[in-house]
Amino acid sequence: MLVRTGLTGPFPRSEALVGATRDLDRGRTTTEAVEELYAKTEEEVVTLEHRLGFDEATAGYLRWPDLFRPFAETWEGFTVGPLTRWLETNTFYRQPILLAPPGRTPGAIAARLPPPLQHSPTTSRVLLPGPYSFAVMLDNRSGETEPALIHRLGRLLGEEVRELRAQGFPLFLFSEPQLVVRPPEGPRAEAVIAGYRAIQGAIDGGTSVVWTYGADARGAFPLLERLPVSAVGVDLAETEVDQIPEGPSGKGLGLGVVDPHTTLEEDPAEVARVVRAAYARRHPSSVFLGPGAPLDLLPWEPATRKLHVLPAVRRVLSEGRP
Amino acid sequence: MTRALFPTQEIGSLAKPRWQILGQRSEPLDAPAKEELRVWDERVGFGKEAPEVRDALLAGRPREANPEAVRDLGALFGLRFLETAGLDRVYDGEARRIEMYEYPIRQMRGFRFGGHVRSFDNKYYLKAAVTDEVRLDHPYHVDEFDFVKQHARAEPKLPVTGPYTLADWSYNEYYLARQPGWKGRAARRAAQHEFVVDLARRALRPTLSALIDRGCKVIQIDEPAAGTHPDEAAIVVDGFNAATEGLDAEFTMHICYSNYADLLPTLLEAKKCRQWAWEFANRDSPGHDGYAVLKVLADYGDTREIGLGAVDVHRDAVETPETVADRIRRAVNYLGDPSRIWVNPDCGLRTRSLPVARAKLEAVVKGAAIARAEFEAPRR
Repeated sequence: MLVRTGLTGPFPRSEALVGATRDLDRGRTTTEAVEELYAKTEEEVVTLEHRLGFDEATAGYLRWPDLFRPFAETWEGFTVGPLTRWLETNTFYRQPILLAPPGRTPGAIAARLPPPLQHSPTTSRVLLPGPYSFAVMLDNRSGETEPALIHRLGRLLGEEVRELRAQGFPLFLFSEPQLVVRPPEGPRAEAVIAGYRAIQGAIDGGTSVVWTYGADARGAFPLLERLPVSAVGVDLAETEVDQIPEGPSGKGLGLGVVDPHTTLEEDPAEVARVVRAAYARRHPSSVFLGPGAPLDLLPWEPATRKLHVLPAVRRVLSEGRP
Repeated sequence: MTRALFPTQEIGSLAKPRWQILGQRSEPLDAPAKEELRVWDERVGFGKEAPEVRDALLAGRPREANPEAVRDLGALFGLRFLETAGLDRVYDGEARRIEMYEYPIRQMRGFRFGGHVRSFDNKYYLKAAVTDEVRLDHPYHVDEFDFVKQHARAEPKLPVTGPYTLADWSYNEYYLARQPGWKGRAARRAAQHEFVVDLARRALRPTLSALIDRGCKVIQIDEPAAGTHPDEAAIVVDGFNAATEGLDAEFTMHICYSNYADLLPTLLEAKKCRQWAWEFANRDSPGHDGYAVLKVLADYGDTREIGLGAVDVHRDAVETPETVADRIRRAVNYLGDPSRIWVNPDCGLRTRSLPVARAKLEAVVKGAAIARAEFEAPRR
């Protein structure tokens, strides 16, 4: 079993960074001091990711206010809208408002990636919003229909991928909670496939992973299987392993085995058992293990602690222990 | 007791006056804080009930007014602010509370705070993990209620955070660990149910019982998290029922910013809930009737009272009394029975300035009066 591990979403900010960013808002510290702390904390995350043997580093995406903000702030056609609940959590994002058909600004997203990633692209993992979740979580006032918008966002994200791939980034993970929270049907589903076809056309030998979370994925599997991507991921805190459809799959399978909704640490043996059970149902080309949903639902310390299960599971799997 | 139609009530916290914040820190009041204290004292008349504290603050001698005395003055201000606005049911503006999660949790054992979670941008909150069986150190809000009871001129109604919300805003570690095997969806649900019911039985119920023993007759159970996971409505209900079982008081349940229809009919199993105090005004706009969801309640044959959110607490624009009256008329149209309706803001007004909060409360009172005159006239 080929196993790859890594983060699947943003990492929480350290307590020091929490204090510094609060102080910044209250005028009690300087932008330079906070910037210095961001850089130090990003290095800490990268060090942690290396120590845990992750296949790519992310540096935690600590500066991104939310998944969509860099796009809402730099792409054409957008403005930043009101606070909106992030799925079924007690956290919020500022809903992008799309006032006109969107257009990307070359280089803008690359410049927003965490600096350690910009310095070492070939060992880094790029986290991006998936075109479907992006389309349904924004406030569309552009006049474009939802299927057309999904497809257009797929094409624009494909252009981002092309630009970043040329810089050497090997893996692109698309955050797609809405594929399981509000599974698309009919023309919307076809638009999702078309959007990912545009992305895949730009991947040029790299790896594309669609990561779902926030709801039970079992009903979405027929569509997930049709997506032209390297792998699809499901959150095993939401989807019971025996609900994953049986049958061989030509693509990789992502398994969210670290649950950010609880501070309880996962048991490596139990995780390994579930991973084997999932593998036996799909026989995927590779298995991607990571947090089921973004780990920034936890504070820094428990998030760090819980991540240690991933190398432990890898060991159990490689040693063939029960 | 027969009430006039459309009685009015508060629903949550008010913004802390600047003079209270500085005074509690024993810091001298700056000019805006002094002005705020003078203006509101003149307007709602609370300073004369503790003149030595007020005068020490105004004279720049904050150390002569200890923080507890300043807090008491803040509670008196909250009471008079709401009473002089004309509300029939009041509290103290939650003058002694900072928030609705951390304080109750800190009165219990079995929890561990492990750091901050980002809410949005550079805003964070503390979230505890339950790491052991829940145990209550001592009933809380009791001293607070004693003070309100002693000083209130209108009927007091005490707000308390509900067991489901306390659990939803915590990490479930202890109860989840007790579930055998993989901690998937079914295990998480079962563990959450156990956690909520334990919180209700071991912490909420003893607290409510102590409050009732002290004379508390109306208690609002706040469950803002209820709408976050509509598929857990049964857990909300079981928590409510366990917290109120065998207790004799008038219980209401406050939920806001949720799709109420998704919680129905399960929510109707909350046996001792006499009133649903929900937010509606926020979703009411030209072309979209925010009160239409009341029809769903009527369709289920539910005949409990409604605490009708008639002003939006997230906008500074102050509704006119006529807007409030129109919202009441629409609610009557859906429910059929005007005697079931209380009128209130959507939620706590703490995010609004005190002048805006006051204006909105006055609109509630005047709007209720307009509707009362219309609906009571045919009865005479």
